[in-house]
Amino acid sequence: MFSYIARRLLLALVVVFGVLVVTFLLTRVVPSDPAARWVGPHATADQIAAARAELGLDKPLYVQFYRYLAGLVKGDWGISIRTHRPVLQDLGTYLPATLELILFGLFLAVVVGLPLGVLSAAHNNTPIDHLSRLVSIAGVALPTFWLGMILQLVFFKQLRWFPLSDRLDMMVELLSPVKKITGFYIFDSLITGNLPALKSALWHIFLPGLTIAAYPLGLAVRMTRATMLEVLSEDYIRTARAYGVPETNVHGVHALRNALGPVLTVLALTFAYSLVEAFLVESIFTWPGLGYYASNAIMTVDYPAIMGVTLLISLTYVFLNLLVDVSLAFLDPRIRLG
Amino acid sequence: MLWKKILAVAVVTGAMLLPALAEQPQVAMYGYHSEVTVFWDPAYSFSNEIIWMHNVYETLLRYDPFTDQFQPVLAEGYERSEDGLTWTFYLRRGVKFHTGREMNAEAVKGAIERTISLGKGAWYIWDAVESIEVVDDYTVAFHLKYPAPMDLTVAACYSAFIFDPAYDHDWYLQGHDSGTGPYTIERFEGNTLMVLEKFEGYWGGWEGNHFDKVVFKTVPSPSTLRLMVESGQVDIAYQLPVSDIQALKDNPNVRIVHTPSFQNLLALFNTQKPPLDNPLVRRALAYTIPYQDVIQGVLAGYGRQARGVVPYGLWGWSDRVKQYTLSLETAKLLLSEAGYPEGGFKLLLTYVSADENERRVAELWKSQLAKLGIELEVRGMPWDSQWELGQAPDPTKRQDIFLFYWWPDYAHPHSFLSAMFQTEEEIVFNLCYYSNPLYDELITRAAELAGIDRAESINMYVEAQNVLMEDVPGVSIYDMEYVRAVNAKLQGYVDNPAYPHVVWWYNCWRG
Repeated sequence: MFSYIARRLLLALVVVFGVLVVTFLLTRVVPSDPAARWVGPHATADQIAAARAELGLDKPLYVQFYRYLAGLVKGDWGISIRTHRPVLQDLGTYLPATLELILFGLFLAVVVGLPLGVLSAAHNNTPIDHLSRLVSIAGVALPTFWLGMILQLVFFKQLRWFPLSDRLDMMVELLSPVKKITGFYIFDSLITGNLPALKSALWHIFLPGLTIAAYPLGLAVRMTRATMLEVLSEDYIRTARAYGVPETNVHGVHALRNALGPVLTVLALTFAYSLVEAFLVESIFTWPGLGYYASNAIMTVDYPAIMGVTLLISLTYVFLNLLVDVSLAFLDPRIRLG
Repeated sequence: MLWKKILAVAVVTGAMLLPALAEQPQVAMYGYHSEVTVFWDPAYSFSNEIIWMHNVYETLLRYDPFTDQFQPVLAEGYERSEDGLTWTFYLRRGVKFHTGREMNAEAVKGAIERTISLGKGAWYIWDAVESIEVVDDYTVAFHLKYPAPMDLTVAACYSAFIFDPAYDHDWYLQGHDSGTGPYTIERFEGNTLMVLEKFEGYWGGWEGNHFDKVVFKTVPSPSTLRLMVESGQVDIAYQLPVSDIQALKDNPNVRIVHTPSFQNLLALFNTQKPPLDNPLVRRALAYTIPYQDVIQGVLAGYGRQARGVVPYGLWGWSDRVKQYTLSLETAKLLLSEAGYPEGGFKLLLTYVSADENERRVAELWKSQLAKLGIELEVRGMPWDSQWELGQAPDPTKRQDIFLFYWWPDYAHPHSFLSAMFQTEEEIVFNLCYYSNPLYDELITRAAELAGIDRAESINMYVEAQNVLMEDVPGVSIYDMEYVRAVNAKLQGYVDNPAYPHVVWWYNCWRG
């Protein structure tokens, strides 16, 4: 087991290195002058030349890459061309907001998606099944940006049930600011007993969370339904039924446990996908997260920030994959890693 | 007796709640489409952050372009010597920096010298300064290398802040400030949120109606920003699409404020590449721009056709400068004279790809040129790529027409006339590659006179602009108006185009 994990970690390093090389080259192929961006508009030729030297852009490409890698090892992820702050510091500021949003979205997807999938399989080809299939197809098919705006129009503009944007109500943010421990507002306000902030945070995360949840929720329903139907036709289920095990137990315990493996794998992988989805959702809901930071970095060819975000996302992908493989081995005794 | 108990509880609860309600701070919110901070150091701030920095830091004077007058801020008065080479400023007494130190002549000298020595941002506005002398604690004198309007310089939008010079860039990066303004940084979140709170020791005092806190927030989605203005969450929003502005016009909760800006859209011609190396062809092109269609169709009327290069409202603008109009007949005559009676050539126009207005202007122009047999290729590019192509070593490899905006670093026509049209050894912003010694001489003289004889300076700038209109190295298409959606209850807000997008929140309140 440990040699397996060690081997996978080594492989992960190779993958991440490859991603870094490709991203580094891609950001340099795009015609752009980071030095000109660094000094701002209306800069003089001398100022741009000075910035080029300051940023090391006058050195050959391989030297620049070597410097970047050497910096990474020392925990220096470079300085963002656009924000003029260390990239690692920027990521630290924006990442918790995104993680909170995605985790909340996935939580919704699991809490709603799994029971709906089970229900759908249990009532195969009935109106309940048709309805849940409609929900799942809509969740997967609706474009995020459209869904986000429609939710805003309906639940904010028309009904006034939920707030329009941001992580907290501005007055709450000013009068009962959340003491930052993890950067997750719901968690931090809960453990510090900051009730106004907790209420506001939950209220604010709902619409963007639902938008993020749509895709994994759709997937969860479909995957659960499909794997449940497969498992329900197995012999041991027939045996269980023959022994008179109640139907709810057959579905909820015996079938679901065996159907869960593939669903969890897919959901874990959608976590990384949701990171990308967050690009749009965060812009629409003014959610100060990584997606907003990354989309701005891409639009302005802010290469240190692009590298930082790419590195972070690829690390997430690689480690989630590993985590899923390892945890599946625990869940399913038939899987042996080696 | 029960009702008495209930009443007592109600009175006590009310009494407890009342102070809480009374203590609710007055908070203003500014919704901005982009990052609210790019540069952190007041010495070389050169971007969006001026929207909050002008509330934290102050300049010696503030310029009002509508009256062409200066308002005293940190300087209560000033005078200049006869030859325009020495300017003396008399400082306000009893002003404290947010760091606790006193603002005096030594601090002013230190701040400006730090700005100059760092050589970043718009430090070059101080180019004329030879030395800064501390005459006494509250008097500071600038000795100049050549006559220059120092009143405009000290009132500049960028690189003219007076700050406590004892601190360095890293300190500012931590979210500290060292200004004298009415507000000070309470906290910030990356580059997307800045919260300012009132500085109790502000020299102007806090009597009357003022906001206690001001929040500057990045709202990237225009649809969200619009909803925030409609619902009153945001007091002022900039950069809403024209269609949203039109829709908000009839909303009683929103006021649309539009002011002439100092920003204009220019088309610079490549004067070193055929066929635009021929002034006749360039003049013909100036007659093909559908100016009025652009103003109505692209700007929905929020702008005006440019006259010359200096925008309307800025000194140096004059109706004595020639203005082109759309006339395809005249264009055809000029093209025939130049040897292109049927057109028959292709031109490449570049613009910043994210800018929808620039694209629509280019498309409207393209349809007019097609009528004369001229094919216009409209190419959207990221700004630095567009700029890089414009600086390609071989002039024939560059674009034919460079479409972009210009706005001044300080309220001076020289910014327009020198940067884009003065002879340049190494190309920076002279993207028409124009060189005319007569023109260079005129604007150099005009700049020298600006600090001594404003009227004569304007005359020379007008003459210089007419030289440009004759040679047509470029055409200014329109002068923009800044259009903002403002909460109808917001009082005291005056848009000042010399400080683009800045709101002096100390002067505002909610009615």
